[in-house]
Amino acid sequence: MDARFTALLQPFLKHAGPGETALTPDTDLRTLGVDSMQAIELLFAVEDTFGISLPDEELNDTTFATAGSLWNVIAAQLPEGTGDGPAGQETA
Amino acid sequence: MTTEPATRPPLDLTDRLAAVTEATEEHLARTDRAAEFPVAALDALRRTGLLGLLVPVTHGGLGGTARDLAAAAQTLGRSDMSVGMIFAMHCQQSAALVRYGNERLRKELLPRIAAGECYLASVTTEAGKGGHLLSAQAQLAAEQGELVVERFAPIVTGGVHADGFLITMRSPGADATAHEVTLVYAHRNQLDITASGDWQPMGMRASHSAALTLTGRLPAHHVVGESGEFHRIATTVFGPLAHLGWSAVWLGTAAGALSRVLRLLRSPAGRARFDLTSELLLTRIARSRQRLDTVHALLQQALHTVESGADLSAPARQLQLNALKITASEECLAAVDDLITALGLRHGYLKDSPTRLEHALRDLRSAPLNYSNDRLHLADGRLALRDQGVSFA
Repeated sequence: MDARFTALLQPFLKHAGPGETALTPDTDLRTLGVDSMQAIELLFAVEDTFGISLPDEELNDTTFATAGSLWNVIAAQLPEGTGDGPAGQETA
Repeated sequence: MTTEPATRPPLDLTDRLAAVTEATEEHLARTDRAAEFPVAALDALRRTGLLGLLVPVTHGGLGGTARDLAAAAQTLGRSDMSVGMIFAMHCQQSAALVRYGNERLRKELLPRIAAGECYLASVTTEAGKGGHLLSAQAQLAAEQGELVVERFAPIVTGGVHADGFLITMRSPGADATAHEVTLVYAHRNQLDITASGDWQPMGMRASHSAALTLTGRLPAHHVVGESGEFHRIATTVFGPLAHLGWSAVWLGTAAGALSRVLRLLRSPAGRARFDLTSELLLTRIARSRQRLDTVHALLQQALHTVESGADLSAPARQLQLNALKITASEECLAAVDDLITALGLRHGYLKDSPTRLEHALRDLRSAPLNYSNDRLHLADGRLALRDQGVSFA
Protein backbone atom coordinates (compact mmCIF):
# COMPACT_ATOMS: atom_id res chain seq x y z
CA MET A 1 0.00 0.00 0.00
CA ASP A 2 1.64 3.24 -1.03
CA ALA A 3 1.45 6.66 0.62
CA ARG A 4 -0.90 8.12 -1.99
CA PHE A 5 -3.39 5.36 -1.23
CA THR A 6 -3.30 5.72 2.55
CA ALA A 7 -3.61 9.50 2.23
CA LEU A 8 -6.67 9.34 -0.01
CA LEU A 9 -8.25 6.68 2.20
CA GLN A 10 -7.96 8.54 5.52
CA PRO A 11 -10.79 11.07 4.98
CA PHE A 12 -13.24 8.23 4.24
CA LEU A 13 -12.64 6.54 7.58
CA LYS A 14 -14.83 8.79 9.66
CA HIS A 15 -15.29 6.26 12.43
CA ALA A 16 -11.57 5.74 12.94
CA GLY A 17 -10.68 6.95 16.41
CA PRO A 18 -7.57 8.99 17.19
CA GLY A 19 -5.72 5.85 18.17
CA GLU A 20 -6.55 4.03 14.94
CA THR A 21 -4.74 6.21 12.45
CA ALA A 22 -2.32 3.49 11.34
CA LEU A 23 -3.71 1.86 8.23
CA THR A 24 -2.95 -1.80 7.69
CA PRO A 25 -4.07 -4.14 4.92
CA ASP A 26 -6.51 -5.61 7.43
CA THR A 27 -8.19 -2.29 8.18
CA ASP A 28 -11.91 -2.97 7.85
CA LEU A 29 -13.27 -0.22 5.61
CA ARG A 30 -16.94 -0.90 6.25
CA THR A 31 -16.83 -0.61 10.03
CA LEU A 32 -14.78 2.58 9.72
CA GLY A 33 -17.37 4.29 7.52
CA VAL A 34 -17.09 3.15 3.88
CA ASP A 35 -20.68 2.20 3.15
CA SER A 36 -22.10 1.68 -0.35
CA MET A 37 -22.58 5.43 -0.83
CA GLN A 38 -19.04 6.19 0.29
CA ALA A 39 -17.64 3.40 -1.87
CA ILE A 40 -18.49 5.16 -5.12
CA GLU A 41 -16.83 8.37 -3.88
CA LEU A 42 -13.81 6.36 -2.80
CA LEU A 43 -13.70 4.71 -6.23
CA PHE A 44 -13.62 8.10 -7.94
CA ALA A 45 -10.86 9.29 -5.61
CA VAL A 46 -8.82 6.18 -6.39
CA GLU A 47 -9.29 6.52 -10.14
CA ASP A 48 -8.41 10.24 -10.08
CA THR A 49 -5.37 9.79 -7.87
CA PHE A 50 -3.85 6.93 -9.84
CA GLY A 51 -5.22 7.80 -13.27
CA ILE A 52 -6.61 4.27 -13.68
CA SER A 53 -9.98 2.63 -14.23
CA LEU A 54 -10.84 -0.34 -12.05
CA PRO A 55 -12.50 -3.22 -13.94
CA ASP A 56 -16.29 -3.59 -13.49
CA GLU A 57 -15.95 -7.17 -12.26
CA GLU A 58 -13.77 -6.05 -9.32
CA LEU A 59 -16.23 -3.46 -8.04
CA ASN A 60 -17.85 -5.78 -5.50
CA ASP A 61 -18.13 -5.81 -1.72
CA THR A 62 -15.06 -8.01 -1.33
CA THR A 63 -12.85 -5.40 -2.99
CA PHE A 64 -14.14 -2.66 -0.69
CA ALA A 65 -13.96 -4.84 2.45
CA THR A 66 -10.46 -3.95 3.62
CA ALA A 67 -7.72 -1.52 2.73
CA GLY A 68 -5.62 -4.45 1.55
CA SER A 69 -8.27 -5.94 -0.73
CA LEU A 70 -8.84 -2.55 -2.35
CA TRP A 71 -5.13 -1.94 -2.72
CA ASN A 72 -4.62 -5.31 -4.42
CA VAL A 73 -7.16 -4.40 -7.08
CA ILE A 74 -5.53 -0.99 -7.55
CA ALA A 75 -2.02 -2.44 -7.72
CA ALA A 76 -3.11 -4.84 -10.47
CA GLN A 77 -3.99 -1.84 -12.64
CA LEU A 78 -0.79 0.10 -11.99
CA PRO A 79 2.03 -0.02 -14.54
CA GLU A 80 4.80 -2.46 -13.55
CA GLY A 81 6.95 -1.17 -10.69
CA THR A 82 4.88 1.89 -9.74
CA GLY A 83 3.02 0.22 -6.88
CA ASP A 84 4.83 -1.46 -4.01
CA GLY A 85 3.47 -4.95 -4.53
CA PRO A 86 0.56 -6.86 -3.06
CA ALA A 87 -0.67 -5.65 0.33
CA GLY A 88 -0.23 -9.07 1.86
CA GLN A 89 3.55 -8.97 1.47
CA GLU A 90 3.86 -6.25 4.06
CA THR A 91 2.26 -8.28 6.82
CA ALA A 92 3.49 -11.72 5.80
CA MET B 1 -35.87 -24.25 -32.59
CA THR B 2 -32.82 -25.40 -34.49
CA THR B 3 -31.53 -28.89 -35.09
CA GLU B 4 -28.70 -28.41 -32.60
CA PRO B 5 -29.18 -29.47 -28.97
CA ALA B 6 -29.98 -26.53 -26.71
CA THR B 7 -27.99 -27.93 -23.81
CA ARG B 8 -24.47 -27.56 -25.15
CA PRO B 9 -22.44 -24.57 -23.98
CA PRO B 10 -22.87 -21.32 -25.89
CA LEU B 11 -20.63 -20.71 -28.90
CA ASP B 12 -17.73 -18.33 -28.40
CA LEU B 13 -18.42 -15.73 -31.07
CA THR B 14 -16.28 -12.98 -29.53
CA ASP B 15 -13.80 -12.50 -32.38
CA ARG B 16 -16.41 -12.80 -35.11
CA LEU B 17 -18.69 -10.27 -33.42
CA ALA B 18 -15.77 -7.92 -32.78
CA ALA B 19 -15.03 -7.87 -36.52
CA VAL B 20 -18.62 -6.94 -37.32
CA THR B 21 -18.75 -4.34 -34.56
CA GLU B 22 -15.56 -2.73 -35.84
CA ALA B 23 -16.94 -2.50 -39.38
CA THR B 24 -20.21 -1.14 -37.98
CA GLU B 25 -18.68 1.58 -35.82
CA GLU B 26 -16.35 2.73 -38.57
CA HIS B 27 -19.23 3.68 -40.88
CA LEU B 28 -21.95 4.32 -38.31
CA ALA B 29 -22.19 8.11 -38.59
CA ARG B 30 -22.42 7.95 -42.37
CA THR B 31 -24.89 5.06 -42.69
CA ASP B 32 -27.23 6.84 -40.27
CA ARG B 33 -26.88 10.30 -41.80
CA ALA B 34 -27.18 9.13 -45.41
CA ALA B 35 -29.71 6.32 -44.70
CA GLU B 36 -27.27 3.90 -46.32
CA PHE B 37 -27.25 0.13 -45.90
CA PRO B 38 -24.25 -0.96 -43.76
CA VAL B 39 -22.45 -2.82 -46.55
CA ALA B 40 -19.17 -3.12 -44.62
CA ALA B 41 -20.96 -4.70 -41.66
CA LEU B 42 -22.78 -7.13 -43.97
CA ASP B 43 -19.43 -8.05 -45.57
CA ALA B 44 -18.08 -8.75 -42.09
CA LEU B 45 -21.13 -10.91 -41.29
CA ARG B 46 -20.45 -12.86 -44.50
CA ARG B 47 -16.68 -13.17 -43.90
CA THR B 48 -17.00 -14.30 -40.28
CA GLY B 49 -19.54 -17.02 -41.00
CA LEU B 50 -22.12 -15.32 -38.77
CA LEU B 51 -24.72 -15.39 -41.56
CA GLY B 52 -24.57 -19.15 -41.05
CA LEU B 53 -25.02 -18.95 -37.26
CA LEU B 54 -28.20 -21.04 -37.25
CA VAL B 55 -27.19 -23.34 -40.14
CA PRO B 56 -26.35 -26.83 -38.84
CA VAL B 57 -22.70 -27.87 -38.79
CA THR B 58 -23.51 -30.68 -41.24
CA HIS B 59 -24.33 -28.01 -43.82
CA GLY B 60 -21.21 -25.97 -43.05
CA GLY B 61 -22.77 -23.56 -40.57
CA LEU B 62 -21.93 -22.69 -36.97
CA GLY B 63 -24.78 -24.78 -35.55
CA GLY B 64 -25.92 -22.04 -33.20
CA THR B 65 -29.02 -22.08 -31.02
CA ALA B 66 -31.66 -19.49 -30.19
CA ARG B 67 -29.53 -18.56 -27.18
CA ASP B 68 -26.51 -17.96 -29.41
CA LEU B 69 -28.69 -15.82 -31.66
CA ALA B 70 -29.90 -13.74 -28.71
CA ALA B 71 -26.37 -13.22 -27.43
CA ALA B 72 -25.01 -12.22 -30.83
CA ALA B 73 -27.98 -9.97 -31.59
CA GLN B 74 -27.55 -8.18 -28.28
CA THR B 75 -23.86 -7.57 -28.93
CA LEU B 76 -24.46 -6.20 -32.42
CA GLY B 77 -27.36 -4.07 -31.15
CA ARG B 78 -25.02 -2.34 -28.72
CA SER B 79 -23.22 -0.73 -31.66
CA ASP B 80 -26.08 -0.24 -34.08
CA MET B 81 -29.69 -1.34 -33.97
CA SER B 82 -29.92 -1.41 -37.77
CA VAL B 83 -27.05 -3.92 -38.07
CA GLY B 84 -28.48 -5.97 -35.21
CA MET B 85 -31.92 -6.13 -36.83
CA ILE B 86 -30.48 -6.97 -40.26
CA PHE B 87 -28.62 -9.87 -38.65
CA ALA B 88 -31.50 -11.08 -36.45
CA MET B 89 -33.98 -11.05 -39.32
CA HIS B 90 -31.60 -12.93 -41.61
CA CYS B 91 -31.17 -15.57 -38.88
CA GLN B 92 -34.93 -15.87 -38.47
CA GLN B 93 -35.23 -16.50 -42.24
CA SER B 94 -32.42 -19.03 -42.25
CA ALA B 95 -34.00 -20.90 -39.32
CA ALA B 96 -37.22 -21.26 -41.32
CA LEU B 97 -35.25 -22.81 -44.19
CA VAL B 98 -33.38 -25.13 -41.83
CA ARG B 99 -36.58 -26.37 -40.22
CA TYR B 100 -39.04 -26.31 -43.10
CA GLY B 101 -37.05 -26.37 -46.34
CA ASN B 102 -37.31 -29.64 -48.27
CA GLU B 103 -34.19 -31.78 -48.63
CA ARG B 104 -33.31 -30.46 -52.08
CA LEU B 105 -33.68 -26.79 -51.14
CA ARG B 106 -31.72 -27.29 -47.92
CA LYS B 107 -28.89 -28.98 -49.83
CA GLU B 108 -28.77 -26.21 -52.42
CA LEU B 109 -29.12 -23.30 -50.09
CA LEU B 110 -27.80 -23.94 -46.58
CA PRO B 111 -24.12 -24.33 -47.59
CA ARG B 112 -24.36 -21.03 -49.46
CA ILE B 113 -25.83 -19.28 -46.43
CA ALA B 114 -23.10 -20.78 -44.25
CA ALA B 115 -20.44 -19.60 -46.71
CA GLY B 116 -21.76 -16.06 -46.43
CA GLU B 117 -22.94 -16.01 -50.04
CA CYS B 118 -26.62 -15.68 -49.30
CA TYR B 119 -27.99 -12.82 -47.22
CA LEU B 120 -31.75 -13.37 -46.86
CA ALA B 121 -34.42 -10.69 -46.83
CA SER B 122 -37.99 -11.18 -45.71
CA VAL B 123 -40.93 -10.17 -47.89
CA THR B 124 -43.97 -10.32 -45.61
CA THR B 125 -45.34 -6.78 -45.79
CA GLU B 126 -48.05 -6.00 -48.28
CA ALA B 127 -50.09 -2.89 -48.97
CA GLY B 128 -53.59 -2.91 -47.48
CA LYS B 129 -53.27 -5.74 -44.94
CA GLY B 130 -52.22 -3.59 -41.99
CA GLY B 131 -49.16 -5.60 -41.11
CA HIS B 132 -51.11 -8.83 -40.72
CA LEU B 133 -48.42 -11.51 -41.07
CA LEU B 134 -50.83 -14.39 -41.59
CA SER B 135 -52.69 -13.10 -44.62
CA ALA B 136 -51.68 -12.44 -48.22
CA GLN B 137 -53.30 -10.73 -51.18
CA ALA B 138 -50.90 -11.42 -54.05
CA GLN B 139 -51.38 -14.98 -55.23
CA LEU B 140 -48.88 -17.54 -56.45
CA ALA B 141 -49.74 -18.96 -59.88
CA ALA B 142 -48.76 -22.49 -60.85
CA GLU B 143 -47.78 -22.76 -64.51
CA GLN B 144 -46.16 -25.81 -66.14
CA GLY B 145 -44.75 -27.01 -62.83
CA GLU B 146 -43.35 -23.61 -61.93
CA LEU B 147 -44.45 -20.98 -59.43
CA VAL B 148 -45.10 -17.51 -60.76
CA VAL B 149 -44.45 -14.67 -58.33
CA GLU B 150 -45.71 -11.16 -58.79
CA ARG B 151 -45.55 -9.21 -55.57
CA PHE B 152 -45.24 -5.66 -54.27
CA ALA B 153 -43.90 -5.14 -50.75
CA PRO B 154 -43.78 -1.66 -49.16
CA ILE B 155 -41.01 -2.50 -46.68
CA VAL B 156 -38.21 -4.98 -47.35
CA THR B 157 -35.26 -4.51 -44.98
CA GLY B 158 -32.02 -4.84 -46.94
CA GLY B 159 -33.98 -5.78 -50.06
CA VAL B 160 -31.60 -3.97 -52.41
CA HIS B 161 -28.63 -5.95 -51.04
CA ALA B 162 -30.21 -9.35 -50.38
CA ASP B 163 -29.07 -12.43 -52.30
CA GLY B 164 -32.29 -14.31 -51.62
CA PHE B 165 -35.84 -13.64 -50.48
CA LEU B 166 -38.41 -15.50 -48.43
CA ILE B 167 -41.77 -14.31 -49.70
CA THR B 168 -45.28 -14.86 -48.33
CA MET B 169 -47.91 -15.32 -51.07
CA ARG B 170 -51.52 -16.42 -51.16
CA SER B 171 -51.56 -20.11 -52.09
CA PRO B 172 -52.32 -20.97 -55.74
CA GLY B 173 -55.82 -22.10 -56.73
CA ALA B 174 -59.11 -20.33 -57.44
CA ASP B 175 -60.56 -21.16 -54.00
CA ALA B 176 -57.53 -20.11 -51.91
CA THR B 177 -58.42 -17.46 -49.32
CA ALA B 178 -56.23 -14.63 -48.04
CA HIS B 179 -55.52 -16.81 -45.01
CA GLU B 180 -53.99 -19.64 -47.02
CA VAL B 181 -50.46 -18.34 -47.10
CA THR B 182 -47.46 -20.08 -48.65
CA LEU B 183 -43.82 -19.23 -48.07
CA VAL B 184 -41.52 -19.40 -51.10
CA TYR B 185 -37.81 -18.87 -51.55
CA ALA B 186 -36.35 -16.96 -54.50
CA HIS B 187 -32.74 -16.29 -55.50
CA ARG B 188 -32.04 -12.75 -56.56
CA ASN B 189 -31.24 -13.97 -60.11
CA GLN B 190 -34.65 -15.63 -60.37
CA LEU B 191 -36.44 -12.32 -59.92
CA ASP B 192 -36.89 -9.03 -61.68
CA ILE B 193 -36.62 -6.51 -58.86
CA THR B 194 -37.70 -2.90 -58.99
CA ALA B 195 -37.06 -0.67 -56.01
CA SER B 196 -39.27 2.35 -55.56
CA GLY B 197 -39.72 5.26 -53.20
CA ASP B 198 -37.22 7.12 -51.08
CA TRP B 199 -36.09 5.66 -47.74
CA GLN B 200 -36.09 8.59 -45.30
CA PRO B 201 -37.22 7.28 -41.89
CA MET B 202 -36.82 8.82 -38.42
CA GLY B 203 -34.55 6.00 -37.25
CA MET B 204 -33.32 2.59 -38.38
CA ARG B 205 -31.94 4.57 -41.28
CA ALA B 206 -29.15 2.10 -42.08
CA SER B 207 -31.64 -0.76 -42.42
CA HIS B 208 -32.61 0.59 -45.84
CA SER B 209 -36.08 -0.95 -45.87
CA ALA B 210 -37.30 0.22 -49.25
CA ALA B 211 -40.32 -0.80 -51.29
CA LEU B 212 -39.77 -3.59 -53.83
CA THR B 213 -41.71 -5.09 -56.70
CA LEU B 214 -40.68 -8.69 -57.33
CA THR B 215 -41.62 -10.79 -60.35
CA GLY B 216 -40.24 -14.15 -61.42
CA ARG B 217 -40.67 -17.89 -61.93
CA LEU B 218 -39.51 -20.39 -59.34
CA PRO B 219 -39.06 -24.17 -59.37
CA ALA B 220 -41.68 -26.07 -57.36
CA HIS B 221 -39.22 -27.16 -54.65
CA HIS B 222 -38.85 -23.53 -53.59
CA VAL B 223 -42.00 -23.80 -51.51
CA VAL B 224 -40.88 -23.75 -47.85
CA GLY B 225 -43.02 -26.04 -45.70
CA GLU B 226 -46.33 -27.24 -47.10
CA SER B 227 -48.32 -25.04 -49.44
CA GLY B 228 -50.75 -22.93 -47.39
CA GLU B 229 -49.00 -23.84 -44.14
CA PHE B 230 -47.13 -20.60 -43.44
CA HIS B 231 -49.08 -20.13 -40.20
CA ARG B 232 -47.24 -23.17 -38.82
CA ILE B 233 -43.84 -21.66 -39.69
CA ALA B 234 -44.95 -18.36 -38.16
CA THR B 235 -45.93 -19.97 -34.84
CA THR B 236 -42.93 -22.26 -34.50
CA VAL B 237 -40.05 -20.28 -36.05
CA PHE B 238 -40.83 -16.81 -37.40
CA GLY B 239 -42.70 -15.47 -34.38
CA PRO B 240 -40.54 -16.90 -31.58
CA LEU B 241 -37.22 -16.12 -33.26
CA ALA B 242 -38.38 -12.65 -34.30
CA HIS B 243 -39.42 -11.78 -30.77
CA LEU B 244 -36.28 -13.25 -29.21
CA GLY B 245 -33.94 -11.77 -31.80
CA TRP B 246 -35.52 -8.32 -31.94
CA SER B 247 -35.82 -8.02 -28.16
CA ALA B 248 -32.17 -9.00 -27.80
CA VAL B 249 -31.17 -6.32 -30.33
CA TRP B 250 -33.28 -3.68 -28.55
CA LEU B 251 -31.86 -4.67 -25.19
CA GLY B 252 -28.38 -4.39 -26.70
CA THR B 253 -29.10 -0.95 -28.12
CA ALA B 254 -30.39 0.38 -24.79
CA ALA B 255 -27.60 -1.37 -22.84
CA GLY B 256 -24.99 0.12 -25.18
CA ALA B 257 -26.51 3.55 -24.62
CA LEU B 258 -26.55 3.13 -20.83
CA SER B 259 -22.97 1.87 -20.88
CA ARG B 260 -21.77 4.88 -22.88
CA VAL B 261 -23.61 7.19 -20.46
CA LEU B 262 -22.00 5.52 -17.44
CA ARG B 263 -18.55 5.76 -19.03
CA LEU B 264 -19.13 9.44 -19.66
CA LEU B 265 -20.36 10.07 -16.11
CA ARG B 266 -17.47 8.15 -14.60
CA SER B 267 -14.81 9.92 -16.70
CA PRO B 268 -12.99 12.87 -15.10
CA ALA B 269 -14.66 15.23 -17.58
CA GLY B 270 -18.07 13.75 -16.82
CA ARG B 271 -17.58 14.06 -13.08
CA ALA B 272 -16.63 17.68 -13.53
CA ARG B 273 -19.82 18.28 -15.51
CA PHE B 274 -22.34 16.14 -13.61
CA ASP B 275 -22.99 15.91 -9.88
CA LEU B 276 -22.92 12.19 -9.21
CA THR B 277 -24.30 12.70 -5.71
CA SER B 278 -27.47 14.18 -7.21
CA GLU B 279 -30.35 11.99 -6.06
CA LEU B 280 -32.31 12.88 -9.18
CA LEU B 281 -29.49 11.76 -11.47
CA LEU B 282 -28.92 8.57 -9.46
CA THR B 283 -32.63 7.77 -9.53
CA ARG B 284 -32.86 8.28 -13.28
CA ILE B 285 -29.86 6.04 -13.93
CA ALA B 286 -31.35 3.45 -11.60
CA ARG B 287 -34.72 3.51 -13.34
CA SER B 288 -33.09 3.06 -16.73
CA ARG B 289 -31.05 0.13 -15.46
CA GLN B 290 -34.12 -1.41 -13.80
CA ARG B 291 -36.00 -1.39 -17.10
CA LEU B 292 -33.14 -3.25 -18.79
CA ASP B 293 -32.95 -5.86 -16.04
CA THR B 294 -36.67 -6.47 -16.50
CA VAL B 295 -36.23 -7.03 -20.24
CA HIS B 296 -33.17 -9.20 -19.66
CA ALA B 297 -35.05 -11.43 -17.21
CA LEU B 298 -37.98 -11.83 -19.58
CA LEU B 299 -35.62 -12.62 -22.47
CA GLN B 300 -33.92 -15.35 -20.40
CA GLN B 301 -37.28 -16.84 -19.44
CA ALA B 302 -38.47 -16.82 -23.06
CA LEU B 303 -35.23 -18.55 -24.11
CA HIS B 304 -35.93 -21.30 -21.56
CA THR B 305 -39.43 -21.66 -22.97
CA VAL B 306 -38.19 -21.96 -26.55
CA GLU B 307 -35.39 -24.35 -25.54
CA SER B 308 -37.83 -26.59 -23.67
CA GLY B 309 -39.13 -27.94 -26.97
CA ALA B 310 -42.72 -27.52 -25.71
CA ASP B 311 -45.55 -26.61 -28.09
CA LEU B 312 -45.12 -22.88 -28.66
CA SER B 313 -48.68 -22.49 -29.91
CA ALA B 314 -50.02 -23.01 -26.36
CA PRO B 315 -51.59 -19.72 -25.18
CA ALA B 316 -49.36 -19.27 -22.14
CA ARG B 317 -46.22 -19.66 -24.28
CA GLN B 318 -47.42 -17.36 -27.06
CA LEU B 319 -48.42 -14.80 -24.43
CA GLN B 320 -44.97 -14.95 -22.87
CA LEU B 321 -43.20 -14.46 -26.20
CA ASN B 322 -45.54 -11.59 -27.09
CA ALA B 323 -44.99 -10.08 -23.64
CA LEU B 324 -41.25 -10.18 -24.31
CA LYS B 325 -41.66 -8.27 -27.57
CA ILE B 326 -44.07 -5.69 -26.16
CA THR B 327 -42.12 -5.16 -22.93
CA ALA B 328 -38.74 -4.96 -24.65
CA SER B 329 -40.00 -2.50 -27.25
CA GLU B 330 -41.47 -0.21 -24.58
CA GLU B 331 -38.90 -0.52 -21.81
CA CYS B 332 -35.77 -0.23 -23.97
CA LEU B 333 -37.18 2.92 -25.54
CA ALA B 334 -38.16 4.29 -22.12
CA ALA B 335 -34.73 3.45 -20.69
CA VAL B 336 -33.02 5.60 -23.32
CA ASP B 337 -35.62 8.35 -22.84
CA ASP B 338 -34.82 8.33 -19.10
CA LEU B 339 -31.16 8.82 -19.92
CA ILE B 340 -31.89 11.77 -22.20
CA THR B 341 -33.80 13.41 -19.36
CA ALA B 342 -30.98 12.59 -16.96
CA LEU B 343 -28.21 14.07 -19.09
CA GLY B 344 -29.99 17.04 -20.65
CA LEU B 345 -29.53 18.76 -23.98
CA ARG B 346 -25.78 18.56 -24.56
CA HIS B 347 -25.27 14.83 -24.03
CA GLY B 348 -28.88 13.68 -24.33
CA TYR B 349 -30.08 15.40 -27.45
CA LEU B 350 -27.15 16.37 -29.66
CA LYS B 351 -26.00 14.06 -32.44
CA ASP B 352 -22.30 14.47 -31.72
CA SER B 353 -22.42 13.33 -28.08
CA PRO B 354 -20.38 10.16 -27.52
CA THR B 355 -23.44 8.74 -25.72
CA ARG B 356 -25.29 8.46 -29.09
CA LEU B 357 -28.58 8.68 -27.14
CA GLU B 358 -30.23 10.66 -29.94
CA HIS B 359 -29.49 7.89 -32.46
CA ALA B 360 -30.57 5.12 -30.06
CA LEU B 361 -33.87 6.87 -29.28
CA ARG B 362 -34.74 7.33 -32.96
CA ASP B 363 -33.93 3.68 -33.70
CA LEU B 364 -35.79 2.33 -30.67
CA ARG B 365 -38.89 4.36 -31.52
CA SER B 366 -39.45 1.83 -34.32
CA ALA B 367 -39.57 -1.11 -31.89
CA PRO B 368 -43.24 -0.78 -30.82
CA LEU B 369 -44.21 -0.33 -34.49
CA ASN B 370 -42.15 -3.19 -35.89
CA TYR B 371 -44.94 -5.75 -35.86
CA SER B 372 -47.22 -3.32 -34.07
CA ASN B 373 -47.79 -3.68 -30.34
CA ASP B 374 -51.42 -2.75 -30.97
CA ARG B 375 -51.82 -5.88 -33.09
CA LEU B 376 -50.05 -8.00 -30.48
CA HIS B 377 -52.31 -6.68 -27.70
CA LEU B 378 -55.36 -7.78 -29.69
CA ALA B 379 -53.84 -11.22 -30.21
CA ASP B 380 -52.96 -11.36 -26.50
CA GLY B 381 -56.51 -10.51 -25.50
CA ARG B 382 -57.83 -13.45 -27.47
CA LEU B 383 -55.08 -15.74 -26.17
CA ALA B 384 -55.84 -14.67 -22.59
CA LEU B 385 -59.46 -15.71 -23.06
CA ARG B 386 -58.21 -19.18 -24.01
CA ASP B 387 -56.34 -19.51 -20.72
CA GLN B 388 -58.97 -19.07 -18.00
CA GLY B 389 -56.74 -20.65 -15.39
CA VAL B 390 -54.02 -18.09 -16.12
CA SER B 391 -51.13 -20.51 -16.33
CA PHE B 392 -47.60 -19.21 -16.90
CA ALA B 393 -44.96 -20.61 -19.23
